[in-house]
Amino acid sequence: MIIKHQEKIASPEIIQSRFEALGYICSNSVATAIYLACHLQKPILIEGPPGVGKTELAKITAAYLNAPLIRMQCYEGLDESKALYEWKYGKQLLYTQVLKEQLGDVLRGARGLDESIARLHDFGDIFYSQEFLEPRPLLQALQSQDGAVLLVDEIDKADQEFEAFLLELLSDYQVSIPEIGTVKAVSTPIVMLTSNNTRELGDALKRRCLHLYIPFPDAALESRILASQVEGLDSQLREQIVTLIGKLRNMPLKKSPAVSESIDWARALLLLNVEELDPHWVKETLNLLLKFQDDIELVEPEIKALLKGLR
Amino acid sequence: MRFVAEFIGALRDAGLQVSPAESLDAINAIKLVGLESRETSKMLLALTLVKRQADQVIYEELFDLYFASVEKAQKEDESEGKEGDNDSATSSDDLQTAQNKQAEVNESHSQIPAIGQAANSDSLQASANSPLGQALGENEDMSLAIVQAAVEEKLSSIVLFTQKNYFAYKIMQRLGDEALSAEIRAETNSHEDKKLQQQLVKSRASLLEQVNDYVEQQYLIFARHKGQKYRVDYLQQAKLSQLENIDYKLMQTLVQKAARKLASQHSRRRLTSKRGLLDVRKTIAANAAFDGALFHTRWKATRIDRPKIVAICDVSGSVSRVARFLLLFLYSLQDVMPKVRSFVFASEMIEVSALFKQQDIELALDEIMQRWGGLSTDYAKALIGFQSQALASIDKKTTVIMLGDARNNQGDGRIDIWEKVYRKSKRVLWLNPEQRNSWDSGDSIMSEYSPWCSSVEPCRNLKDIERIFSRLLKYS
Repeated sequence: MIIKHQEKIASPEIIQSRFEALGYICSNSVATAIYLACHLQKPILIEGPPGVGKTELAKITAAYLNAPLIRMQCYEGLDESKALYEWKYGKQLLYTQVLKEQLGDVLRGARGLDESIARLHDFGDIFYSQEFLEPRPLLQALQSQDGAVLLVDEIDKADQEFEAFLLELLSDYQVSIPEIGTVKAVSTPIVMLTSNNTRELGDALKRRCLHLYIPFPDAALESRILASQVEGLDSQLREQIVTLIGKLRNMPLKKSPAVSESIDWARALLLLNVEELDPHWVKETLNLLLKFQDDIELVEPEIKALLKGLR
Repeated sequence: MRFVAEFIGALRDAGLQVSPAESLDAINAIKLVGLESRETSKMLLALTLVKRQADQVIYEELFDLYFASVEKAQKEDESEGKEGDNDSATSSDDLQTAQNKQAEVNESHSQIPAIGQAANSDSLQASANSPLGQALGENEDMSLAIVQAAVEEKLSSIVLFTQKNYFAYKIMQRLGDEALSAEIRAETNSHEDKKLQQQLVKSRASLLEQVNDYVEQQYLIFARHKGQKYRVDYLQQAKLSQLENIDYKLMQTLVQKAARKLASQHSRRRLTSKRGLLDVRKTIAANAAFDGALFHTRWKATRIDRPKIVAICDVSGSVSRVARFLLLFLYSLQDVMPKVRSFVFASEMIEVSALFKQQDIELALDEIMQRWGGLSTDYAKALIGFQSQALASIDKKTTVIMLGDARNNQGDGRIDIWEKVYRKSKRVLWLNPEQRNSWDSGDSIMSEYSPWCSSVEPCRNLKDIERIFSRLLKYS
């Protein structure tokens, strides 16, 4: 990828501080991963619990580098015609119609079958060519002039076959289209893959990527994230929110509240003009934090105990 | 870089799969960012080498152990460098130069009174003869020499904790312990020499301690996980019926791992079946060149049929342990074999499929073994029970797996029911936890059942189970 402003990726520290200015607070290891990805031209495989900002990282990287973000959402049954390319069948059919009409002109005056065939060979064939190629996300990423940030979201949802299909792209930044040949990247894109670990990814895929694990942030980092995302949040309330969520994450819940949930919750509390966490409000807004009825039932009787010691 | 390479070796020994390509990545990353602080290097190596969440813990533990020792060695290296030519005295055999230098060093040491032995025994040390004795007398820091000796002795190949003493001994030898010991043992009369000998005994003891510490630490880095690997290898071959209770936990993870491997191998297999659905889009695409006339048909891929399995396990005393692992394996395969009905029996036939659905598999297994395990066997009664409960549901797609030793305590085996099972099903597999030559001995009636089985196989260790299921999945 051609990065117009090399100084933007001069060191991990610069990336970290600039990301912060853009509103994405990240740890040192995240910044280092981005730095390495830019310099070593390696894809990054990002893992971590849902809602810690995996997809967001790709978006912010694209915004920071002024590159287009090309996103491909994976799902079961995704195949190359949806991910890489498709032929424009309609136009191809029309082309054959046109060709048929032209055929008379081309073959006029030809004597015998041999000569006709020879003329037919001379006649340019564009049936399988770039003109009739409909690029899908992967091909778009390879063809974009100034490089792009390619986000392959939730790769674990795709089939294993698709994973294997990605390997060529990830290691050599090229893909093979049987009718045309190999298409090489015009300019190497920055590739990010995210996974929620619903299934173990293949070793071959992992080997080709840098592996970044984003865990739930620690209290200090989360507090900074909330400060940057939710404007006008009282700092005391912020500390209370962070501590309470930290405690919730230690409970045996089906789904622990992630960063995105704590941001939502903080926004809601701000909107409701809550100045201090009290059992009533926590109970009323708990459904913003916990997405399973079982979890809510587990936490509700504990609210008072959880809030103790916050003040 | 040498440290990184060696560290990668340690990671591999601990069971992490680090490929050469990944090692190169790590080295490139280090070139780019540098190894300034311990935190950055830890992060860099984690980004490039550790690809699995489960490996993270091992990695962190090893990193801390390993780089603590590297940093220590480096620090000493630097301080050694400052002291100048001390270093050469240890390796030099030339007594003359050594003594010359020693004189200088002794002077410098006497200016620093706090250095313990050396400071108050200057005059004595001058007469130590063996190189090692002199080095100790100068109170030199031996750690660098120890590290060198350890490299020469290939300490990183250590496997078992019983080897620790051996390596410590070899390292001492390499450092020149023989000459030192000889000097200590030498008979003398003079008072001074005796005092010197006592000094040497003391410093030798502390050196030995230092060597032992170093060996211990290296053992922790390189061998602890290797030992685990040996145990895993052993368990795969071990007879299931003789496993100790302490191995259960490890064995269960092994069984699940093997099952997962098999599952992922076979879930990948898809066939383009001729009788699948017509894939209209692909067909049009394939035939666009023929002016829309459909020459080639394209079919939607269909998943191959998963085998329908009925498992019957004898859980009486002799077979219960094998049954436990067979069931565990079977249920770890649920991704590729969703249709499993399982029965256990000692004398009554009991269906336990529901139990596995409700509970965590390990808990369910414990419960089954507690409630029904260890009773005496009655095949006749059990087969009659099976006939009434399940015979009707067996069809030509069903594979029946029976695990039992066919030891019926002299009773009637009700072979006729087993024949019916065989005739109605696609295939009958009989797995016997005993080895072939003990079949039909004593009260075993294996040969009466075997005509009504598609195959009878011994099933004694994890490898057997894996092989049998692999074949089952392949040809179903």
